[in-house]
Amino acid sequence: MINFEEELKKFHPSLEVEDAEEAIYNQDLTDMADLMVKIVKEAKKAEIEEALE
Amino acid sequence: MICYQCGCNLSEHDFCTNCGADVALYKKIIYISNRFYNEGLERANVRDLTGAITSLRQSLKFNKNNVEARNLLGLVYFETGEVVAALSEWVISKNLRPKKNIADDYIDMIQTNQNRLDTINQTIKKYNQALTYCNQDSLDLAVIQLKKVLSLNPKFIRAHQLLALLYINNEDWEKAKRELTKCKEIDTNNIATQRYLKEVDEMLMPEDGVKQSSRKRHKTEEAVKYQSGNETIIQPVNIREGKGVTSLLNLGIGIIIGIAIAVFLILPARIQASRANIDEELRKVSEMSDAKTATIDELQLQVNELTKANGDLQQNLEAYLGTDGKLRSVESLLKAADAYLTNPEEITVVADYLEEIAPGENEDAADNSESFESLYNTLLALIGPRVSQAYYNDGYEAFRQENYEDAIPNLEKAFKYDAANGDALYNLANSYYRTGEEEKAGAAYRQVIELFPGTEKARRSEGFLEEMANEE
Repeated sequence: MINFEEELKKFHPSLEVEDAEEAIYNQDLTDMADLMVKIVKEAKKAEIEEALE
Repeated sequence: MICYQCGCNLSEHDFCTNCGADVALYKKIIYISNRFYNEGLERANVRDLTGAITSLRQSLKFNKNNVEARNLLGLVYFETGEVVAALSEWVISKNLRPKKNIADDYIDMIQTNQNRLDTINQTIKKYNQALTYCNQDSLDLAVIQLKKVLSLNPKFIRAHQLLALLYINNEDWEKAKRELTKCKEIDTNNIATQRYLKEVDEMLMPEDGVKQSSRKRHKTEEAVKYQSGNETIIQPVNIREGKGVTSLLNLGIGIIIGIAIAVFLILPARIQASRANIDEELRKVSEMSDAKTATIDELQLQVNELTKANGDLQQNLEAYLGTDGKLRSVESLLKAADAYLTNPEEITVVADYLEEIAPGENEDAADNSESFESLYNTLLALIGPRVSQAYYNDGYEAFRQENYEDAIPNLEKAFKYDAANGDALYNLANSYYRTGEEEKAGAAYRQVIELFPGTEKARRSEGFLEEMANEE
């Protein structure tokens, strides 16, 4: 049996056109490729540091 | 595909030929992203928009620069009525690839049409307002607001779902099902839609749930399953086309309903209209008939009047005409003249002819002929005094013998032929007096006094008048 109150909570206000700009800026665009690059860079950095030590 | 480190195009090798960076993992990530994009595209093609959104978002999680996936995600959002989300994706896509990007067209399509943009904004505001009404327990207002939203944007899935939820809450299952069916037409695999629909179906056909499942099971038993590569093919056996009888039955029912509608709705209206027309025609004919009857009556009246006038004229004509067609009075006058010229002494013959001219007839004749009048007067002047004397003698003799019936006409004629015969008038008055005709007697006495003043007759007349006055 559907609980109206519970179901209603699942509906959220829709973004208005004026809010679109803010929504775009706030969007988290980090992807797996970014993470991989970051990990690779950090690994390289660690290697260099190890070599220097 | 380009190297994440130097930006050069990558080859089939697992390292960058320019900078030597290891791109094996990076390539896998890009491949996974592309795979999700393909999956999303396939789902979008079969209108599984929820599934498409999930796949495309996964694709973008792996590769944010997958412009195709982003554009498609925007398009899917737009199809579900989420215009702002769609715009966001297209704007980001345009920033990632400013040239040769179809997102440009999509953005232009919305932004160049100000009315459309306003409508979109209004739709969103109204939806948000409806949601506020829901939270404030003003559910009726929310329903009204959502109906407005859907009239502006019929593809807004969330609005359909919210409206369906409100109908479900109100136990208006049919309406809820209608909304959910529309949802399903837009997005075939939306989980919320399916969950609501299941609830609604159970409420509409509570027994059917069990029956359906058993029927399904039965069907599965009647089907042949076999494997073809990776796909399982289920082929039903003993398919019966029971549609023929049903179709005929439906057709028959349709015809019966049609006939019933014709008999009970259309036919009475037609009959009513026909009756009204006939009544109108009848009224016109009746009016024309009345008018004609009035004309006939009028003409009949004219005919009667003319017949009467004709009769009078005929009578007058008969009075004028003799047996040989000549005017009787003229003939009588001519005879009188002839008799006088033949023998002037035979005045009684002349007088007889003159008598034939009816009293007053000579006046009418005078209108037609002056010679008639002249001849009549001449004859009257020539024989008048003698005729008068003759009539007077006869009348006076009768008067003396108290035979007033003979006396009166003779004395009248005597005075008529000679107006100077005062004795005739006086004795005529006496005759009237003695026969009791006092009015005529009075008139005659007064005429004696007027015409013959100072005479013995006038004096005696006065005496008689006084006597008559005293008697009264």
